[in-house]
Amino acid sequence: MTITKPANPPAAKASPQPDRQTDRGSLRALWYLVPALLVFALFLFYPLGRSVFLSFQGSDLFGRPSGFVGFDQYTRLFTDSGFWNVMWVTLGFTVLTVVPSIAIALALALLLHQKIRGIRFFRTAFALPFAYSVATASVIFGVMFNQATGVLNGMLAFFGLDRVGWLTDPAWALLSVSLATVWMQLGYNLLVLSAGLGAVSDDVVEAARLDGAHGWRMQRSIIMPLLTPQLFFLLVTGTIHALQSFGQIHILTKGGPQDSTTTLVYSIYEQAFANNNSNFGYASAQAVVLLIIVVAVSAIQFGVLERKVFYR
Amino acid sequence: MAAAGAAALALTLSACGGPGSAGAGDAPAADALENADGVTVVNFWHSMDGTNGETLNKLITDFNAANEGKIEVKGVYQGDYDTTITKYKAAVQSNSTPSMVQIYDIGTQFMIDSGAVMPTQTFIDRDEYDVSDLQPNIAGYYSINDELWSMPFNTSMPVMYYNKTLFEAAGLDPEKAPETLAEVGEAANKLSKTNGGPAEFGFNAAIYGWLLEQEIAANGALYCSPDNGRSGERVTDYSFNNDTAVEFVDWWKGLVETGVAGNTGRATADAQNAFKSGTIGITLESTGALGGMQKAAEEQGFELGVGFYPKIEQNDSGPIIGGASLWVSDEGHSDAEKEAAWQFMQYLAEPATQATWHTGTGYFPISKAALDEPEDVAWREQYPQFDVAVQQLEGTELTAATQGCSAGSMPQARKAAEDALEGALLGGDSKAELTESVEALKTEVENYNNSVQ
Amino acid sequence: MSRTATAAATRSGDARPVRGTLAARKRQRRPLTLGRVLTYAALTLGAVVVLFPVYFGFVGSFMGPADINAYPASLWPFNGFRVENFTGALDSIPLGRQYMNSVVMAGLITLGQIVTSLLAAYALVFLKVRGRVFWFALFLCSMMVPAEAIIIPNYLTMSSAGLINTIPALVLPFLAHGFGIFLLRQAFLSFPVELWEAARIDGAGHMRFLLSVLVPLSKPTLAALGIWSFLSAWNMYFWPLLVTQTPQMQTIQIGITQLRSADNFNAGLVLAGTVLAIIPTLLLVIFGQRFIVRGLTAGSIK
Repeated sequence: MTITKPANPPAAKASPQPDRQTDRGSLRALWYLVPALLVFALFLFYPLGRSVFLSFQGSDLFGRPSGFVGFDQYTRLFTDSGFWNVMWVTLGFTVLTVVPSIAIALALALLLHQKIRGIRFFRTAFALPFAYSVATASVIFGVMFNQATGVLNGMLAFFGLDRVGWLTDPAWALLSVSLATVWMQLGYNLLVLSAGLGAVSDDVVEAARLDGAHGWRMQRSIIMPLLTPQLFFLLVTGTIHALQSFGQIHILTKGGPQDSTTTLVYSIYEQAFANNNSNFGYASAQAVVLLIIVVAVSAIQFGVLERKVFYR
Repeated sequence: MAAAGAAALALTLSACGGPGSAGAGDAPAADALENADGVTVVNFWHSMDGTNGETLNKLITDFNAANEGKIEVKGVYQGDYDTTITKYKAAVQSNSTPSMVQIYDIGTQFMIDSGAVMPTQTFIDRDEYDVSDLQPNIAGYYSINDELWSMPFNTSMPVMYYNKTLFEAAGLDPEKAPETLAEVGEAANKLSKTNGGPAEFGFNAAIYGWLLEQEIAANGALYCSPDNGRSGERVTDYSFNNDTAVEFVDWWKGLVETGVAGNTGRATADAQNAFKSGTIGITLESTGALGGMQKAAEEQGFELGVGFYPKIEQNDSGPIIGGASLWVSDEGHSDAEKEAAWQFMQYLAEPATQATWHTGTGYFPISKAALDEPEDVAWREQYPQFDVAVQQLEGTELTAATQGCSAGSMPQARKAAEDALEGALLGGDSKAELTESVEALKTEVENYNNSVQ
Repeated sequence: MSRTATAAATRSGDARPVRGTLAARKRQRRPLTLGRVLTYAALTLGAVVVLFPVYFGFVGSFMGPADINAYPASLWPFNGFRVENFTGALDSIPLGRQYMNSVVMAGLITLGQIVTSLLAAYALVFLKVRGRVFWFALFLCSMMVPAEAIIIPNYLTMSSAGLINTIPALVLPFLAHGFGIFLLRQAFLSFPVELWEAARIDGAGHMRFLLSVLVPLSKPTLAALGIWSFLSAWNMYFWPLLVTQTPQMQTIQIGITQLRSADNFNAGLVLAGTVLAIIPTLLLVIFGQRFIVRGLTAGSIK
């Protein structure tokens, strides 16, 4: 799935529940789980095992497993300077998308949280990017970023500035792709933070006001701490989301120039499906690395929320 | 699952050998199609879109109309060449190959090694089909050990496109196209805005590995060894870091660094569009783009010039006859289907069809006689730009260099060469970048050769 | 409008805005202070930047090559509105068919997720399913697995089953999702156990209890899950890219990227394609914003 990696709520309230086990037909109960388990077994757990299996295999001309090669694919991975470049790009892309998209959304959410005229217009305006899928947004940004005929360079010309190789200059490409991604992500982050702000009780605000808190101080010391769960949620899901990004890179840069936008997911695609490669073994080793990273990030979240969500 | 089972069953049956059946690799009986019941469907995967796709669809419709009740060709656009070969590979794994597929030139060796296709030569031998009408330079590319593996279809050569209107504005002679790299560079300098010229950029071309392959061939040098893989031995090494390549890349890099050339990246569409917008002096592209270029030039109000692909210096060599060819799938397809595909291939190779194809797309006709068709003659009189490709082809001697490199790992090699070209244009050292890519390909070549042994 | 409204909408599931209090409206009429001017300035700047791609995407879709390729840039179709961009886009790709593909795919995935989640969540909460903690942990863990890490085996599975380029290939892997199970489990947990006892006295079986009591009670959660899964599926890119081959089977997301092929020198036509593709979601965001908020933030607020 592409738009939002779901996660458990940061603030699930624990309420005492009576014992609900009122039926003895335990075996029959299993049938209720069968549909979901069947899907998971076929398209989640089996492929998970097969990914790991493939990562210990070579690949023949058609990508079919050609025999056990031990840790060869991993050795190749960790000694390949290209792979380390991929990891740096992945980290860079994650930081460049997650941090700005949360920071800007927070600033906008706080501004929008005021009772001023015309706020409705701004709310709708900032939510609009949300209507764009990764594919549509990327196509539009691709047209705008075009080095020779794009509108961005065309506007720089108004100011007498030189063209920028938005997607063709390795110094710019990652920034440009990140910029497009921040734009796509902004609407969602804003909605989450606005909803969080909306839930801040008027009483709290009123009490603070009576204590003499106003303006920026009110925002910083009263409201922002109350947003911590939302901010944490966005940080974790945003990171996972960034790690999984594919469409914008495939559409805008195909991982170039000079591999400056080849993230881990894109690299998996390239090794497995592009340029007549079919290096399923090598790509699977990278997939396993991706899996480990994402599980680790998710585990942080679960660690923090474990008690709140799991045992009730 | 069911389909795979049926295919397996069909294979078993044909292996048992009834009348008219054939084992893998043998040509189907000539009457296989006549004995088939109903309409035989030919699924045909291709990579032709835009104007080229429209022209191809027209040819398919005509063929279907002429064979109504017997053969129905279903053309399916699969995406660009890279995508099509990747999808074909996946189809081989899952026994769901189409009857016929269009594969780019550099996928030739891979297709042969795949073992999934039937050489066109088997049909040619069976029918004693007359191949003398095929352009020898074109057939040369797809012949390995004197066997024609696939039927050439859309052949293109690279040419140089230039904007005559801008040439005039820059005080250059629009009727005299520059021919060597030095001349092109000189013209680009005069054209470009940085030197007070009328064009945004004097020169701009896509960072496309194909252009480097062409330049190497155009100067009679080899892309891979031994002998570009044309002497019956497998390719063991690439040589696109030779002096010819370095000189070409250095030349291009120089133009970029002085701001005379733009850099629109790797996408050929972007480079084409930049030129079509009328702000670029000179570009390098395939003849296959001529139709679209001509249309855009009329729309944007500039005059289009076409010249030979520039060489380092004049010589008898020339660019490679590239493009794509048609392959018939073997395993999992009935004799009638193969026969029907062969019929369709023959139709596409006919002089009249090729004339329509040539005039509709700019792709070079594979049939010599197509150039004498009245339709073609009249059209070339109207658009003399299209004659440039004909002259260029006729002026090219068929050698290992101009046949191009035939190696299974060519798609990867093109990507590696592109990496190097891009690295150099962005400031790297040409020789070092190219050598690095050549070195990196050694494992790739070894892996490939091991996997086909 | 006011934060009370947002809070009410998000908490109770009421999509209608609540009018601001009298006091709140009084406060709105305070004189223009420097802080207020700065707020407007910041909001306006933000809106211009955020809205520019939206603006250009629309206006550019009416531009011919002379405008869209202009240097310096042209921000309006000065050389005439080119409506042919839209007909051209419709001629280049089977957009209607691709729309249908997207709708069918996203619809089936949504339906599938709702059904599998309802059943599983019911088993976890109301039935004495053996190893409840284990199953729940398993579902939670399933949410951690990124689809991209298992995309190669899934692709190979589809390929060897001969399902490439079919609707089942697009849909099957997504018919269940740990998130849906989790969301419904939380909702079910909030219902008192007496509900089931009462139903049982009325002679209802499990299935009837689930369908006629729990489903109506869980409507807000189901709506949230429905929106979330529909939009996620609608926006998918990587998987449909791999498993579809023909324009006839591609989803709209893949279709519009195909408009960028070499012969389509006119970027206006490409933008026209994106306009056609986003109309439904755009309307949803403009007119159903409050409705959508719940679905999309379902993971964050509860």
